[in-house]
Amino acid sequence: MTILTVAIKYLRGRLLASVLTTVSIALGVGLVIASILVSRGIKEGFVAGATDYNLVVGAKGSPTQLVLAVVFRMDIATPNIEYTVYEELKDDPRIDVAVPVMVGDAYQGFRYVATNSAYFAVFPWRRRMYSLSSGRFFRDDPVDSPAYEAVLGAEAAGGTGLRLGDRFYEGEEMADHPLTVVGILRPTHSADDRAIFISLSSFWGMNELAHGMVIKPLTAVLVRPKRLSDITGLHRERNVAAETQAVLPSGVLLTIFNMMAVAQEALNMILVIVGVIVLIYVFVAMYSATLERRREIATMRALGARRATVLAIVLVESGTLAVAGGIGGILAGHAAAYLAAAMLAARSGLVSQPFQFDAVQPAVLAIVILLGALAGLLPAVLAYRTEVAENLAPLS
Amino acid sequence: MSPRSAVVLSEVRKSFPAGDGGNLEVLNVEHLALSAASCTVLRGRSGSGKTTLLNLIAGIVLPSAGTIEVEDTDLFALSEARRDRFRAEHIGYVFQSFNLLAAFSALENVMLAMLFAEVIPQRLQRQRAGELLAQLGLAARLAHKPQHLSRGEQQRVAIARALANNPPIILADEPCASLDAATAREVMAAFLAVCRQDGKTLLLVSHEQAALGDADQIIDMAELNRAETGKATTATVRQ
Repeated sequence: MTILTVAIKYLRGRLLASVLTTVSIALGVGLVIASILVSRGIKEGFVAGATDYNLVVGAKGSPTQLVLAVVFRMDIATPNIEYTVYEELKDDPRIDVAVPVMVGDAYQGFRYVATNSAYFAVFPWRRRMYSLSSGRFFRDDPVDSPAYEAVLGAEAAGGTGLRLGDRFYEGEEMADHPLTVVGILRPTHSADDRAIFISLSSFWGMNELAHGMVIKPLTAVLVRPKRLSDITGLHRERNVAAETQAVLPSGVLLTIFNMMAVAQEALNMILVIVGVIVLIYVFVAMYSATLERRREIATMRALGARRATVLAIVLVESGTLAVAGGIGGILAGHAAAYLAAAMLAARSGLVSQPFQFDAVQPAVLAIVILLGALAGLLPAVLAYRTEVAENLAPLS
Repeated sequence: MSPRSAVVLSEVRKSFPAGDGGNLEVLNVEHLALSAASCTVLRGRSGSGKTTLLNLIAGIVLPSAGTIEVEDTDLFALSEARRDRFRAEHIGYVFQSFNLLAAFSALENVMLAMLFAEVIPQRLQRQRAGELLAQLGLAARLAHKPQHLSRGEQQRVAIARALANNPPIILADEPCASLDAATAREVMAAFLAVCRQDGKTLLLVSHEQAALGDADQIIDMAELNRAETGKATTATVRQ
């Protein structure tokens, strides 16, 4: 028999209280872990999903909405701009690459993104590379004879169950012109994984067939200038224009992060309050348990247990609760973060990686054990100071 | 040649703070010696200082004056931690209320005492606890929690626990007072037999006929305790 086995015996002796205390610690720790992982995941998701282009040109309106809709496919799309905006930008000598993007409806929850082959092209400045796990990219087909070819993001392929060569359509009016899957992308860990890419001609053709719409709109144009010094000029010009605005995606990200920081501060305050409540709960549980067994503590002392030994037993008890609650909380926090990440990805297209083991988990566990020991300290001192003779009086 | 004394008390006094700011002397013993391997029975009315005397010999309470030697060791010359260790190794204590730990089985209650003394190697503790309980007729009750044992069985577990570290001295405070007469006779007989067999020095507070009949020495607290007989020399007179 050891101090640890005595402590565990005592914990098992009041099983319900021990379980409830452990669960309360686990809930507190889980909240902290989930909050850390989710907020970090969102931030990293935004950074990883951010575009390599310096400017997003779209219709006048909210810059945040434009970037969220075009880059992250999170918000509803901004009003359309005319295709001529793209043509102007493409012919601008200051611009290296301009890519037209049209964000459309969805097929089984996966957004149509119409663009051209430049979207997938390899440029020296690009961080994100597009490669195919099977098939080929769609062709830049002429406007008057759309090919109705689709390239699926990795998750879109998994989610829809579509394979190479499969044909699909939405709405009876499209039955004669279904889209054919010609390629499936490897995962990019961005919103593109949940996209169904088609050519602009195919998109316009689909709209003409389905809605009788003959105009050729765009949601935005992604722009990469040849020189970074031209960004300011292009930005100003597009914002001065009546119909368009140019947005710096990095600036929007900064705005989003600033908004998140305010929310995080509020969340941190709530987490501190939760932590204090859990701490008080553990303290009260340990204190009342120690009060209840002062006779048993006195008996152990009469059997030869030193004051330090009974102090250690109570501390090991609270430490064991903290370890169990801490580990349970870390696991629960990861599970919650995983669910939150899946929900975010499904609802907003923001892809985050919640399972990252680094210094956070051991640090949280160490803090929990320390706080658990702290909560057990006063009850342990109560045990330490228990008067033997006083508490051994015969029971009436 | 006179037998070796296992316990010697000299001019031992014990006072407790009284409500009026003075001290209330509850024990005043000029001299008491317990021979090794003897059985001494203490008798006295309630409040005559019997339990205080046992607690002093166990080193659980400190004397106000005097010396207590147990196994040739001046108990109160030791630091508290060393006195605790000394108690664990040399003194077994049987309480009137058994004081078994509710969360522990009979076997574990006995093994618990071994944790504090560390005289029985860990690998042998379970075996020794089992043997002691079997010796007291509880071989079939090892895994039972105290609440699932009869009062007589609980007291046998408490006796086994007192014997766990094979201490030379056993103190027992009315061990059968809360048992019915038949069970008390049975438990007392088993207790005395084990103590005799192992040559323990036994100081027993009891009014049981079996104990009185088996005692080498019977001490009446009224005669031993000068505080009890009104010979107290402290300022406060005991009410």
